[in-house]
Amino acid sequence: MKQKFHSFFFILWPRFFRELSEHIIPYLTFNNYPRIWVRGILILVSTSLIPLFVMTGIYYQLIEKSIDNALILRTERVASNTRRAVSFFFEERLAALKFMVNDRDYKDLINPTQLSEILKNLKLGFGGLTDLSVIDYNGTQLTYAGPYNLEGKDYSQQNWFLECQKRNAYVSEVFSGYRGVPHIVVAVKHTRPDGNFFIIRATLETERLFNAVTSYKSGTYADIFMINHDGVVQSPSKYYEKKTRRISIEVPEYSSRTKALLTKDRKGIPVIVSYAFINTSITPTPFILIVVKEKEGVSVMKIWLGLKTNFNLFLAISAMVIVLIMSLTATSLINKIYFADRSKAEAMLSAEQKGQLASIGQLAAGVAHEINNPLALINETAGYIKDLFVIKSQYQDDPELIEQIDVILDAVERCGAITRQLLGFARQLDVESRSLNLKVMMTNLLSFFQKEAEYRNISILLDVEDGTPSIETDRKKLQQILLNLINNAFQAMDKDGNLSIKIGIVGTDMVRISIEDSGCGIEEHHLNKIFDPFFTTKQEGKGTGLGLSITFGLVKKLHGNISVNSKVGEGTTFVITLPINFKKEEKHENSTG
Amino acid sequence: MKHNTILIVDDEQKYVEMLARRLELRGLKCSYCFNGNDGIRMITDNYYNLVILDLRLPDLYGTEVLIEMRKIRPDIKILILTGHGSDKDREDCMASGAFSFMRKPLDIEQLMTIMTQINEVEE
Repeated sequence: MKQKFHSFFFILWPRFFRELSEHIIPYLTFNNYPRIWVRGILILVSTSLIPLFVMTGIYYQLIEKSIDNALILRTERVASNTRRAVSFFFEERLAALKFMVNDRDYKDLINPTQLSEILKNLKLGFGGLTDLSVIDYNGTQLTYAGPYNLEGKDYSQQNWFLECQKRNAYVSEVFSGYRGVPHIVVAVKHTRPDGNFFIIRATLETERLFNAVTSYKSGTYADIFMINHDGVVQSPSKYYEKKTRRISIEVPEYSSRTKALLTKDRKGIPVIVSYAFINTSITPTPFILIVVKEKEGVSVMKIWLGLKTNFNLFLAISAMVIVLIMSLTATSLINKIYFADRSKAEAMLSAEQKGQLASIGQLAAGVAHEINNPLALINETAGYIKDLFVIKSQYQDDPELIEQIDVILDAVERCGAITRQLLGFARQLDVESRSLNLKVMMTNLLSFFQKEAEYRNISILLDVEDGTPSIETDRKKLQQILLNLINNAFQAMDKDGNLSIKIGIVGTDMVRISIEDSGCGIEEHHLNKIFDPFFTTKQEGKGTGLGLSITFGLVKKLHGNISVNSKVGEGTTFVITLPINFKKEEKHENSTG
Repeated sequence: MKHNTILIVDDEQKYVEMLARRLELRGLKCSYCFNGNDGIRMITDNYYNLVILDLRLPDLYGTEVLIEMRKIRPDIKILILTGHGSDKDREDCMASGAFSFMRKPLDIEQLMTIMTQINEVEE
């Protein structure tokens, strides 16, 4: 399992984090693969995820907005219906009292027996009536019909009495009063012909009203109740009845119409609140009807929330899949680029190394051939001396013997010279960036081509301008460059060619080396490609197409330039310009770049 | 010994002289020259049992000399003796009708064996 996880992680973890050898870095086209990788993933992931999230967000908002609107409408309708029922409840009772005071004589009303009769009739008609009483303009109760004997009680200082006096009719809040039982008082004022007024007052049981209100309640997350204008709860409420009897939402501003709004209660639960101020045609009441619905409790909302959870889950999984696929895509693409780049870099590197080895190998072969002739001579001479000893007996006093020994010594000397030359060349290869005399170096190099040139009758001309300075450069690289170019020139020429090498100064800080051959030349449409890696006009398998590309790279490393001029059938000229002081160029480059 | 004339064609004078002396010590009669054209002229005028021919000559390449000599004397026996010869040279020479191909430094006893073979064939 762990292994599996590791191998999975391995796919995501790009190769260039694992295997990047320092040697090939200079040959890579891109040098910051981790950055390309991270950027690739970010771009791919963000371009695919951002539109997805934005669209989902917009879609959610649209849905929720339309659900909210539907919920508000529905809650408003419930509030409006309940409001009509409650208003009607009070209006009916106030109208009955009004009818009564106009219908009956004052005398009848202050007669307790008559009043009891009226109470009985009203109870039959409406029910829920506890008592009736008549109060005169002083606030003194004149007659009382009902279970509690409160005759003669003075109401003159009570709020309801004062209010009723002002407005001609009155509906009280729910209160317990002298009786200790919650009730509502409704009262109507009537002015007698003599100008004095009296008030008829009825006490209503709250049960009927509350039943009417709660009958509109639907569902467990809904609540319908009444509050007074101070926010004190007036009827049974599921949420707000308990301790403080104060609602946990703001008391709304007055409005004559039913209204609804989205808000949060004090616990932070989102709720839809619809409210209506209850007024009758006769008098306003102190009640505000409140309908509260918890958003989450509404079935549409429940369905939506369930869906939303699923959507979110789907979205999260999609996002994860997208991130994974995009990461894999980016990783695999960049891995592929990396592999291509790396194999190119490896080819360049190995070709550069092989190129070097091939040249040194070529040298060695040349040297071996050159040594072979003197060796053959030594062989024959020594053989002859031996013959003299074995075949002839006159060896003792023969002066010829000395002569032959000289021949041997001469041949040995020739071998020695070649060996010294080879060793000197090898020693030079070890020295980097030291003052270098181009004439000496070129003469040394050309000596390796001397035999070949003699044999193929190629004339070599070396022309060094007077005043050409020694240059500071990487000897090994320059030798490689010149070897490659001279080698190319020799390959381009048949018998009887001319190789002309000119060295001179350009400006104050550059030298110019031109290598001109009278070989086959390069076709014009090939000229701009000859420095490209793997470009070759040679037969398959004969050339790697890397020689000039490497030469080009080496010249660039020495902060130089290389150019070519060629005409088919006439020959080719390569011109290299190199800075006299390579270190200075390097510093200059570092400080500016 | 009847069949004992040899022509050596090689541009290195000292080497040729030395080889000739050694062969003469072994009873062979040697002539020599230092380039291909001289060699061709000499086989036209004289008869040699064996021509020892170098490949790198100042005027002609050894194979050219070989072909030219074989045109003049189709039955001529030519031994290529070279310090530079590649395998391709060897193939070319054998295909062009060389009798044998040897590399410098020379093993003189091997050359004597070949000489003996030639004598046996010619007798």
